[in-house]
Amino acid sequence: MSVIGHVAVNVFKESVRDKILYNLVVFAVLLISASYLIGELTAGQDVKIIKDLGLASISIFGLLIAIFIGIGLVWKEVEKRSIYTLLAKPIRRQEFLLGKYFGLVLTLVINVAVMTAAFYLVLAYMQAETPPNIRAAWPAPATDPAMLKAVALIMLELLLVTAIALFFSTFSSPFLSAMMTMAVWVIGHFNQDLRDYGATISSPVAAALAKGVYYVVPNFAAFDVKLQVVHAQAIPLRYLLLTSLYGATYVALVLLAAAIIFSRRDFK
Amino acid sequence: MKVHPAAWAALAALFAAVIGLQLLQTREQPLGLPAGVSTNLLYVRSPDFARRAALSFHALLADIYWIRTVQHYGGTKLSTGANKQYDILYPLLDLTTSLDPYFDVAYKFGSVFLAEEYPSGAGRPDQAIAILKKGLQAQPQKWEIAQELGFVYYWWLADYDNAAMWFNRAADMTKAPDWLRPLAAVTLAQGGNRTSSRTLWTEIERTADADWLRDQATFRLKQLDAMDGIDFVERIVQQYRARTGMFPTSWADLIRAGLLRGVPPDPTGTPFRLDPATGSVSLDPASSLNPLPNREHPL
Amino acid sequence: MDAIRTEALTKHYTVGFWRPRPYLALDGLTLQVGQGEVFGFLGPNGAGKTTTLKLLMQLIYPTSGRAEILGKPVGDVGVKRRIGYLPEQPYFYDYLTAEELLEYFAALFGFAAGERRRRTAALLDEVGIGAERRLPLRKFSKGMLQRVGIAQALINEPELVFLDEPMSGLDPLGRREIRQLILRLRDRGCTVFFSSHVLADAETLCSRVAILAKGRLAAEGRLSDMIAFEIRGWELVVSGLTESALKEMQEHGLVRGATRLAEGRYALELPLTPRPEETTAALVARGAALVSLTPVRDTLEDFFVRQVSGSTGSRFRETA
Repeated sequence: MSVIGHVAVNVFKESVRDKILYNLVVFAVLLISASYLIGELTAGQDVKIIKDLGLASISIFGLLIAIFIGIGLVWKEVEKRSIYTLLAKPIRRQEFLLGKYFGLVLTLVINVAVMTAAFYLVLAYMQAETPPNIRAAWPAPATDPAMLKAVALIMLELLLVTAIALFFSTFSSPFLSAMMTMAVWVIGHFNQDLRDYGATISSPVAAALAKGVYYVVPNFAAFDVKLQVVHAQAIPLRYLLLTSLYGATYVALVLLAAAIIFSRRDFK
Repeated sequence: MKVHPAAWAALAALFAAVIGLQLLQTREQPLGLPAGVSTNLLYVRSPDFARRAALSFHALLADIYWIRTVQHYGGTKLSTGANKQYDILYPLLDLTTSLDPYFDVAYKFGSVFLAEEYPSGAGRPDQAIAILKKGLQAQPQKWEIAQELGFVYYWWLADYDNAAMWFNRAADMTKAPDWLRPLAAVTLAQGGNRTSSRTLWTEIERTADADWLRDQATFRLKQLDAMDGIDFVERIVQQYRARTGMFPTSWADLIRAGLLRGVPPDPTGTPFRLDPATGSVSLDPASSLNPLPNREHPL
Repeated sequence: MDAIRTEALTKHYTVGFWRPRPYLALDGLTLQVGQGEVFGFLGPNGAGKTTTLKLLMQLIYPTSGRAEILGKPVGDVGVKRRIGYLPEQPYFYDYLTAEELLEYFAALFGFAAGERRRRTAALLDEVGIGAERRLPLRKFSKGMLQRVGIAQALINEPELVFLDEPMSGLDPLGRREIRQLILRLRDRGCTVFFSSHVLADAETLCSRVAILAKGRLAAEGRLSDMIAFEIRGWELVVSGLTESALKEMQEHGLVRGATRLAEGRYALELPLTPRPEETTAALVARGAALVSLTPVRDTLEDFFVRQVSGSTGSRFRETA
């Protein structure tokens, strides 16, 4: 296993020992209790709500992990100076950075996988418990595999957020990094409004600025197909591929920028 | 440490790629949504829920919904689709004003564009009235809202009794301007009189603090001027008929008869149309003042 | 080929946010360290020793000048396979155990799993960490962390080792163990470059030293060249000396100074002449008894203080 791999495994070990994975327990408990409580509501609507809740929770939990571990990935090592001994070993700075990134990605993948499995389990239970006549009214089965497309795009979104958090972590303190990463995420989600904003205001300068920001800030809204998937709307393959390509390219861009900044740094 | 020039080149290339893909992506969005599901612009349907969910960020969320309201209106108005609907204009305004009951411009916008006839507006004066009444609940002494209510009844519903009632109520409110009381009186007495309309619109044009509102008022005033102009020219046509026993065949006849100095234009400069058969005068179809408010409708 | 070679290595920092001023941390250091040497890099705190080590490890980049390790420019990844580094006050991942840490570092060198375990076990034995090796590092004391630090620096059996204050945090027993370790490294042919502000260590271990003060090289060379190992005088500890006898000795110039010690003893400073045997005999004749006789030589400390206090000049350069 290469040097990057070893660093990545180490990051994963750290997240396990920092008990990050306890959030999975919280998630599972949340989902199961919610499904039980919502079961008291009108029949038929509860599956949609569980699907909405499940997907949103996967997204939020993943986001929290991505940001709050991501911002410390590099900063902690520099601050605590553990990076001194590490960089004296035969490892390049970029390899270190990539190792950190893939370590967090590994943590996230496992988290999302477990959450998705729990999610489908709850849905399978609901599917089994609901009488067939009500089930027929559902736009899609409870355990609709198409939802995995939404999960895949959520995962992609998390990869990008992680990269951005890592980027800020190479030069900024955790608090600032968290703020900036969240700001980018929020702006990215309201990207649609930015684009339309340009069409409705009169000042050409402001419109140009809005449009510029729209193109530069990652378009996180594009990764959000939760609504479509819950309503059993088809997601064209072309859309998935294009969005994935966009996401991957952006990740590469951010990681490269982070590597450039990191390789020029003095560690005081 | 010097960064390898290849790294900078790669950075630039990736940046360009990202923007390019974003452009491509833009064309793919938005994904189609099933019928009957309101667009995710709303996020929530219930204003109550929205208020609670917003925690302490009501005002900000109200702003966001306001931006979406304007976009929805603008986007729908500019779109070339056959069956465009302003279907979520009212819900959006309702959400905006629920989150921020003091969002005055939202009420004004609603009163104008909810009531405005389709395709320039939603064509739903009832929704406009609902929004305005809601505004009064939050600000019972805001005379502007009461005046807007009077206006909707007056202009769109030709309900002069209700209009006058609201103008009167507005006049009773704090800091109400002086012209509201006489306006109420005139409305009651003369209903669809052009004078009262002109008073209203003049006042709106004078006090409007948003371009779109002022432009609306100016436009209406020009229409009223056009209607005055039409009346005037029609009287001249009658004079001609009285003299010659016939309707004029063209403007030239009237000019030769010394009754007109030149071809009469409407306030935008477009010449009026003369119908030789009936002697009636109307706007040129190309005039931007079309369609004039109905002669039987508030005038 | 030199183990380490620097040429006019210089590092400026800018200090201050509103009116940044340049701070000269290291000024034109030119140095060579030969292979197999035990080289002491000495200087008071803030002299620039740690800056130099960081420049050699490429943790920071020089403002100007060059440095080479084992014939290659610093930062060469191949060279990193052959060196070890112990930073000052090391910190390691506190969620790992000592074993896991060493195995992790060993993995970075590409050793197979079995080899990693073997080296880890051997090194932990060598630095004296026993069963604690299975405890997470957050439970380690400073001294134990220092030992782990030395272990990780040696995990790859390096040819050249950089130690920044290796004795810090160790008790006297620990210090002695590390001294012996360094000598063992020397015997194996390893080059040892260590920085310290404790001169006693350098005196016993080093073949060559460099003394750094205020960012500049104050002195460099073989220890024996720098210190005159000749005797300057003697220190004689006696008991049973009466005050009158002492006064008499002093008047005759046989004793230069006297310090009263506990239990009725005196520490006497004797000049080079007359020879101590004579003075001793005279004292014994007056009823004193010998406790100890020690030659007083010029120490590294004397030399050091002379060099260091000689440097002048502020290292802040005011911008115009």
